[in-house]
Amino acid sequence: MLSKIVKAACTVAALAVPGMAFAADYPTKPITLIVPYQAGGSVETMGRVFADELGSALGGKVLVKTQPGAGGKIGTTAASKAGADGYTLLFAPDSTVLWPPIAEDVDYSLESFTPIARVAMLQMAIVTSKGSGIETYEDLLAASREGKLSYADQNAISRAFVNYIGKQEGLDWVAVPTKGGGEMVPFLLGGKIDFAWSGGVHNRYLDQMNVVLGMIDAPLQRSPDVPTIQDKFGVAMPAGATIWAPAGLPEDILSQLVEASLTAAGSEAFTSLLNDKLGMPPAAVSGEELTNALAEIDSGLAKVYETTSQ
Amino acid sequence: MIEVFLHAFAAALDPMNLVFIALGITLGIVIGVLPGLGSVTAMAVLIPLTFYMSPLAAIAFLVGVNKGGTSGGAIPAILLNSPGSPEAATTAWDGYPMARRGEAFRAMKFALFSSITGDTISDILLVILVVPFAAFALQFGPVEYTAVLLFSFALIAGIAGDSPLKSGMAIFIGIFLATVGLDPVSSTPRLTFGRIELYDGFSLSALAIGALALGSVVMQVSDLATGRAADDFAANQAETKEGRRLSAREFFSYWRTLLRGALTGSLVGMLPGLGVTLASFLSYSAAKRASKTPEAFGKGTPDGIVATESANSAVVGSNLVPTIALGIPGNIAAALLIGALVMHGVVPGPFMLTMHGELIYGLFASMIIANLIHLIIGRAGLSLWVQFARIPRRLILPPVLMFSIFGIYLPTQSLWDVGVMLAFAGLGILFSRAGISVVCTVIGFLLGEMFETSLRQSLQLYQVDGFSVLASPVAAIFLLLAIAVVFRAIWRGRKPQETPA
Repeated sequence: MLSKIVKAACTVAALAVPGMAFAADYPTKPITLIVPYQAGGSVETMGRVFADELGSALGGKVLVKTQPGAGGKIGTTAASKAGADGYTLLFAPDSTVLWPPIAEDVDYSLESFTPIARVAMLQMAIVTSKGSGIETYEDLLAASREGKLSYADQNAISRAFVNYIGKQEGLDWVAVPTKGGGEMVPFLLGGKIDFAWSGGVHNRYLDQMNVVLGMIDAPLQRSPDVPTIQDKFGVAMPAGATIWAPAGLPEDILSQLVEASLTAAGSEAFTSLLNDKLGMPPAAVSGEELTNALAEIDSGLAKVYETTSQ
Repeated sequence: MIEVFLHAFAAALDPMNLVFIALGITLGIVIGVLPGLGSVTAMAVLIPLTFYMSPLAAIAFLVGVNKGGTSGGAIPAILLNSPGSPEAATTAWDGYPMARRGEAFRAMKFALFSSITGDTISDILLVILVVPFAAFALQFGPVEYTAVLLFSFALIAGIAGDSPLKSGMAIFIGIFLATVGLDPVSSTPRLTFGRIELYDGFSLSALAIGALALGSVVMQVSDLATGRAADDFAANQAETKEGRRLSAREFFSYWRTLLRGALTGSLVGMLPGLGVTLASFLSYSAAKRASKTPEAFGKGTPDGIVATESANSAVVGSNLVPTIALGIPGNIAAALLIGALVMHGVVPGPFMLTMHGELIYGLFASMIIANLIHLIIGRAGLSLWVQFARIPRRLILPPVLMFSIFGIYLPTQSLWDVGVMLAFAGLGILFSRAGISVVCTVIGFLLGEMFETSLRQSLQLYQVDGFSVLASPVAAIFLLLAIAVVFRAIWRGRKPQETPA
């Protein structure tokens, strides 16, 4: 009789504090991985394959939930407000988490999240069409001095970085806002604009586009000989795509998630998707190395924001 | 070339492939019939199923879902006057009056057969045009898009509602609503009142379903409750064979409208971003202008249904032209297809046809075969849907309300969107009582964002090179056409005994 009451009391206690009571056998229910972009893009594609692998590494189920809007800010805000119980994760490029708190008014900041693991490196670049005759970064500068050039950006951070280059070189380019690679590509190839910032879509068009400058801190995977913004100006766009959790995750769940994420990031399905299909290098960075890298990027972004917002 | 196609048809005729196409079409129609859920939701929900299929079966399945979803949207438009998605809005204009007269079955047959004919023509154009198309699409930059959109607004204002002035006003209200959210140039929030949900503006499906479908359902409920209208829809339905028959001969007597609709839809579908709804509106407007009896439009002429359905389904095939030729999705449905292609190891882009020719031609063959399957399944479905026409309104309308809310909540799981939908249902009722076409507001909203972006892009380009911007022949032609349409409307409006269009 007494044991029954104790059992019942335990059950009640367990139901009341599920996060604590069941931490040992996490996960007990499906985990939601928020992707703050529309279905069909490369981040979402990566997210789906990653979610499958993460699920099998954890011995549970990981479901992708796309929450697009406002350049990733809607899904990211939702993730920052979710419970820190390990059942809501976010898969987003570093810039989506770091840039809006610096430049805009949002409810989250880097402190709202615990980075779990960086799993891929995006491949941002400045590109021109083969028909334009602009083949290198020097060609671009020469053409810009001859006449005013227009370029396609895709969001506020891409515009800030192109304008940063313009400021350093003493040039004034006209920004034409586009809604993404799908709009940029035909405008560039049709000669409606002179050059463009590309988030990685150029990897599919290397036979029709010249890559003139890498916008990240490492050589581009598919165009390793092209100079980078890091070489020229000592700044770079955040290139990492990272798995995040709302800050304040219990210690044991965090370590379980980090380990599983690294396994998923190194899995055959995920690395072959990145290497062979998307042309983006996979990564597997976690812990202190990741925290330090993010802090460094954060201060670099603040610098670019100050230079371009004047 | 012939060999490639024979091979492709052999691959497409694989029994598993056919089963998946049939399954896709069936699911697409069922989801499309549910008010509030259109082909895009259907595809998004069903994509995870495709991970376990072969690439060809997966893509064919999704194309089937898209085809079925687009034609399925006509059913609630005809039976309930509540289009499942904005692209079927003009189907309701003539389909519902026809159904009220007791010709629900015939109206649905017109819709289904027009869908399939438009779709087939567009699939054939896709196969022929996919290679030469790339050059044509590149002619369209910001300036050209601005001109095309202005022309479309002028045309649409002329066909909807009882006065071009009121319709024009409704369109501009829609464009104004589309400016809510982040500014496309400076990224500063506008009219968001600090709400993160408004950063991307109002959700199109919430606004459209609210204003078009829900508003109409609420009005029907209130008419029934106040006794303003009798619940005689079911009793009116013709039970005789003649009242339900639609001979091939009668159907094809609308061949002009069919062909015009299919070509309009195909052309609009080839230009990325313009979308399905614009195609149905342009085709409807063209049919009305070409008709000897334009006053019959909006009162239940099969011409209106044929024009709309042939055009909106024609977009399904031709939308894949930019997707395959340039790797650029023509709309969200095509973007979802691209996502599925990537999952299956096919990277969309200009070289997709050379690298994965077998798969792409297999897809073309599957699409053409799918039209035949669509005809069989769609026709069988009509016998089921027509049963709904026999159910008294007071039993069928409440579940429609529930499904609309469910349909808006499901894809984004956002109660905010449900609130937006309810608010716009209110606006829809208000407008409709005031004789303003709320459909114009929806289409203004739908195209408003693109209009603003293209206009602002053009203005940015103007800074670079002022006059070459205006020298585009494509843009000049469309601008002149837009001006001509407006002047024609003014000139007609000044004639005293003009019957309202």
